[in-house]
Amino acid sequence: MDPWAAVAGGLAGTVALTTILRAATELRLTRIDLPFLLGTMFTSSRPLAKAVGYMAHFAFGLMFALGYFALFVSLDTSGALLGAAFGVAHGLFAGTALVNVLLPVIHPRMGSTLDSARSAPLLEEPGFMMLNYGRTTPLVSLVAHVAYGAIVGAFVQHGVH
Amino acid sequence: MAATRRRDGHQVYAPIRDHAAIGDGRTVALITRDGTIDWLCLPDLDSPSVFGSLLDARTGGSFVLAPNVPFEVRRRYAPSTNVLETTFETATGSVRVLDAMTLPDDDGLAPTRELCRRVEAISGRVPMRWRVEPRFGYGAARSTIGERSGIPVATSGNLAIAVHAWDAGTPAITGGTIGATFTATTEAPATIAMSVAAQEPLVFPTRDDVERRLDGTIAYWRAFVRGSSFPMAWRDAVERSALTLKLLVFAPSGALAAAATTSLPESLGGERNWDYRFCWVRDAAFTLSALFRLGDVREAESFFWWLMHASQRSHPSLDVLYALDGGLGSRERTLSLEGYAGSRPVRIGNAAAEQMQLDVYGELLHAASTYVSARHRLDADIARRLAGIADLVCDRWGRPDAGIWEVRSTERHFTHSKMMCWIGLDRAIQMASDGHISGNVERWTAERDAIASFVESRCWSDARGTYMRAADGEDLDAAVLLGGLMGYRPATDRRMRQTIDTVARELRDGSSMHRYTGEDGLSGGEGAFLACSFWLVEALARSGQVNRASALMFELSSLANDVGLYAEEIDPDTGAFLGNFPQALTHLALIGAAVALDEEAA
Repeated sequence: MDPWAAVAGGLAGTVALTTILRAATELRLTRIDLPFLLGTMFTSSRPLAKAVGYMAHFAFGLMFALGYFALFVSLDTSGALLGAAFGVAHGLFAGTALVNVLLPVIHPRMGSTLDSARSAPLLEEPGFMMLNYGRTTPLVSLVAHVAYGAIVGAFVQHGVH
Repeated sequence: MAATRRRDGHQVYAPIRDHAAIGDGRTVALITRDGTIDWLCLPDLDSPSVFGSLLDARTGGSFVLAPNVPFEVRRRYAPSTNVLETTFETATGSVRVLDAMTLPDDDGLAPTRELCRRVEAISGRVPMRWRVEPRFGYGAARSTIGERSGIPVATSGNLAIAVHAWDAGTPAITGGTIGATFTATTEAPATIAMSVAAQEPLVFPTRDDVERRLDGTIAYWRAFVRGSSFPMAWRDAVERSALTLKLLVFAPSGALAAAATTSLPESLGGERNWDYRFCWVRDAAFTLSALFRLGDVREAESFFWWLMHASQRSHPSLDVLYALDGGLGSRERTLSLEGYAGSRPVRIGNAAAEQMQLDVYGELLHAASTYVSARHRLDADIARRLAGIADLVCDRWGRPDAGIWEVRSTERHFTHSKMMCWIGLDRAIQMASDGHISGNVERWTAERDAIASFVESRCWSDARGTYMRAADGEDLDAAVLLGGLMGYRPATDRRMRQTIDTVARELRDGSSMHRYTGEDGLSGGEGAFLACSFWLVEALARSGQVNRASALMFELSSLANDVGLYAEEIDPDTGAFLGNFPQALTHLALIGAAVALDEEAA
């Protein structure tokens, strides 16, 4: 297995994930906007936040692909189906812990359950399974992560050694 | 109040005249004299409404903010701004409300859209109440109301609003509404802000951020006014018109919406209800002329580039109108709303987009000519396209069309359409001789002369002493005045002067004018068309009748509402506004009339 194949898969997978999320917002299914959430961690300038957010989003996409690669190596197998299964776990983790709990705690402009009367949040928190951003957000997120995982798995399986 | 019931079962609606407009270059909110926002589409002007009680008082949704006791109202715009200042006088004191759609600045994260309502007591203590009743998707979309971090939030699909109240009571969520009561005092001004998120998480602004943006918004509008140059005559009316046009310019593209609303009726209870949240090519020539005359060069450039970009899709044919983002979306359909004062159907989209209206070619070429006259250059591609449009005019001018008034009856050879075709070819020839475009100038010249022969032989009536509405017809049309204003013949020409006199005599109804006589394929009547009245002022002034023009302008200025705005039409008997509001064409025509009076009086 080739780690560069995982990197390439991570890039293609993030493109697919981003496209699915963006299409879902256009179809009025959700208000999730991961680059905006990531970018506003660093700046309150809206255009800059979008630019930084997209860079961070793709960087995370590549990092997660390397995480998938490590799992493929340890299991000594790979493929689109196994990648899709990782995507399911990844999507559930993102909705329940990563974006729901971790992001609000470290995000300087987002409200969280740790806030007291001293704080005034600037951004709406995602809530469990990101349901605050729309009822179909968990489904959209899951579909996007499954697509991401399947693409990474396929790239690793078919990558040239 | 906007929601009490009349005996015939329809809801009672605030008169169109009672509305003021605020906006941010993306969308426009309408506010009644009693402090109710009854029209706001989000996130953009042509999106579905969230507050739409203007078109259905029962299901449309609104944002009420007013004293909880009987009151008298005075209103104005904060000087040289689009920020509304409403003063409520009550028995216990008086209170001033500043309403604005704030503009984002470089400090702090701003919501997608933000509506700010700031309450300042001037004297005494005034019990106040406010109630936000969001009804997404023209009142038809499913929505939920809850809280995030203690802030009331309403969501529907990819749209959400949050309501922030500072010193304005503790908001309570009751059914589908968010609201509170509080007492306004001189010690503690209150602010209520509604932040909007579209396709993204909600941004919750701080009070300091909102109030800084409100101050910045006031400063921006004043800078916009300072950067414009207004004629000395009728300066205040022109300034308000310029500010209103700026509200109707959709900033992301530069397109000018014909009005902020859909389906406000041309006759109460009638079927003449249209969606005006589109950009009409027809308005292009007026728009560019007005923007250049006012010195708003950036807006003029932006509008011309939008126009050429949007029309690229259908080249060399032109659609009559385009969506504000230049895209599709003009398919006409009806909504199951009660309609303003029971005026149904309520339409969204506009079927006029599919009509054949020959005058638009002349208007586009005239706009391009105005653009190059202001020392702007055309790139090679646009120059080629303009030449292609001139060729198309040569091919098509002999056909009947639906005309400027978009009649839904049989197509005819309308005089105004032919005059505009002549003007289009004349401008193309001029641009070619100045080296801006190149093409078959000989053919353009021959066809231009053929159009003139047609108009002079078949559209002129010796018996009536006027250009008629259509070839070989008996009806009159105020639009033929535009032939004199846009250069088919000078307004001082004998035939044009006779036409001005006939139109003034036979189409005037008090201070205002009807558009035309004869049928148009629709049932029911309509009010008097305000733009035509201002065209008559301009025509009178340009034909040397400045005193008559000034007298009419005085009368027309008294027809504006209390904050200086005009709708499309007016009922000559009652003075009630009719049609969509505020209307760009009326304000464009006002600017043209004021400039003409200023220049001709000099």
